Amino acid sequence: MQAKAKLYPKEAARLLREKPGVREAVTGATLHFEEGRKKAYGEMDAEALRERAKRVKDHLLTHLDQYLELAEKRLREKGVQVHWAEGPEEAHRTLREIVARHGVKRAVKAKSMLTEELGVNPLLESLGVEVFETDLGEYLIQLLGEPPSHIVGPAIHLSLPEIQRLFHGRFGTPLDASPEALAAVARKVLREAFLTAELGISGANFLVAETGTLALMENEGNIRLSTSLPKVHVAFVGIEKLLPRLADLALFLPLTARAATGQRLSTYVSLIQGPAKEGEEGPEEVHVVLVDHGRTTLLHDLEAWEVLRCLRCGACLNACPVYRQTGGHPYGYVYSGPIGAVLDPGLLGLEEAYPLPYASTLCGACYEACPVKIPIPKLLLTWRKRAVERGLAPTWERGAIQAFAKVMESPTLYRLFSKALRGLPLPQDLLPLLRAWTEGRGPLKPSPKPFHLLWQELKE
Amino acid sequence: MDAKSRILSRIRQALKGMPKALLPEHPHPASPQDPLALFLKRLAENGAEGHLLDEEGVRRLLADLAQGLPGAAYGKGVPSAFRLLPEIPPEEAPLGVSRALFAVAETGTVALSSEDGRRTQLLPPVHLVLVEEKRVYPSLLEALLDLKSLPSALGLHSGPSKSADIGQVMVKGVHGPGRLVVAVLQGSW
Ligand code: SF4
Repeated sequence: MQAKAKLYPKEAARLLREKPGVREAVTGATLHFEEGRKKAYGEMDAEALRERAKRVKDHLLTHLDQYLELAEKRLREKGVQVHWAEGPEEAHRTLREIVARHGVKRAVKAKSMLTEELGVNPLLESLGVEVFETDLGEYLIQLLGEPPSHIVGPAIHLSLPEIQRLFHGRFGTPLDASPEALAAVARKVLREAFLTAELGISGANFLVAETGTLALMENEGNIRLSTSLPKVHVAFVGIEKLLPRLADLALFLPLTARAATGQRLSTYVSLIQGPAKEGEEGPEEVHVVLVDHGRTTLLHDLEAWEVLRCLRCGACLNACPVYRQTGGHPYGYVYSGPIGAVLDPGLLGLEEAYPLPYASTLCGACYEACPVKIPIPKLLLTWRKRAVERGLAPTWERGAIQAFAKVMESPTLYRLFSKALRGLPLPQDLLPLLRAWTEGRGPLKPSPKPFHLLWQELKE
Repeated sequence: MDAKSRILSRIRQALKGMPKALLPEHPHPASPQDPLALFLKRLAENGAEGHLLDEEGVRRLLADLAQGLPGAAYGKGVPSAFRLLPEIPPEEAPLGVSRALFAVAETGTVALSSEDGRRTQLLPPVHLVLVEEKRVYPSLLEALLDLKSLPSALGLHSGPSKSADIGQVMVKGVHGPGRLVVAVLQGSW
């Protein structure tokens, strides 16, 4: 995918201006997920489980070479063909060979963020392969030609009337068709695709090194169908997605489901060990492509490597007040929200992803939500510091932050300054993010009275 | 150098400067008092139906589900005593009957082996799963620690197929079965 992260402030402003409905749809969906997560975390000792999960992932990452070699060995023992790819070029080569060897005309795909990174769909289309996204949300945005706007709910920015219009134009369904009726139409198209495709493509939530097990989580059944019916299955797996032991799944599957949607376990989990055995249903060939695409660079980065623990659960997006305003598209890359703001600079380079570390209020909600305790606020500050050092952020910012700290430390200075500032016009043009914000909303006006005075009046 | 060597050598380089983190032991599973009752409760919470039945009860349940149906698709492991309807291919069958390898109480889950037949588990709109009482584990951890060998694919099913991708409205039976019925068989067959 072509990264457009640089355009973040402009795109965010444009979206707020041109598609105000997105904010409502995204806020509704994320609040719903977030409520589910809070309830689910409340049912268990979330703190202890998050800490355990963090430690398992840290162990895995600090022994990554050994576990990758073990995983490869186990996969091969089970008859899986293992490929390695540094990035899209090598991944594409592998896929092209498979498509040619099997004369693939149709492929069914399970939702996967890594395949978005690698641009798998455009490649297949260029090879004349008809690709069907089979996750319902992903299918909707495929019909619209849009990228996913959320890691877990790729189409949460779409309202029911928009989907009704889309299906009306596409399949001739009535404009007031119910969600059930629309789903039934999609089901019919996709069922046909499952039964006729020669190739099934998936990512992986986890790859267990001990047993060479691919673990895939979903609620619809489309992943199980995509990995069961076609005669060839190709799974793209980021090298950081490994787990040491099979029993670690007992921790990670429920924890991920709780963080993502508040479920105790997702409706379907596929644990895949290889191609079908003699006399058994299932794919004749299973391929696993182990993909780096920037992960090793992050592993070298002692201040930023912790993002590699990420399970792609989307909980930090749901918790984020900034993400809720616009959804994922303005972030301009596969990963949006808080995780995008700290992962994209690592994967793309800070120059390509520059304003993203500023797309946050540093409120800390993302850290509270994260099942593997990735210190997102700390990482945001790390990237901001680097942006200043590399001359990407305005240089006045460093001075401004130091001055701000001084003022905040002294109540007298604070009163004095806040009084003075209230009388001045806000320098809207100076602040890169504020400017885009005000384009759609008119200038910000400071309150005539300071908060501490209002608070006092309220108490009296 | 091939991609594998390049990736691994970069990883080794990176790890040189990092302290190694220890792998935590698995926790002791906290087993519930009555796993069977918990299993049925969790199934209901997941939107599935669960029944604890003897052999005669399972046959009655089957007869109920089979009413008016031309046939059913069967997993390989389903005993002939429970094949009340003529067998038809899963693509056309209104009912699929499978036999679970095991079940998990804590999450309300049945585990289905590829050896039993995957189409039967996925294509018909109604899915009946049979599982022996003694194969119901209290927790996922106990089940996974106990697994001696793994089939080429294991499906953990915890309810009917569902999606809220269309306007945040929950729709059932999107790609997989819209109805999941689980019969826990008392004793063994
Ligand atoms: S950073 Fe944490 S909360 Fe966000 S997607 Fe990754 S694992 Fe989930």
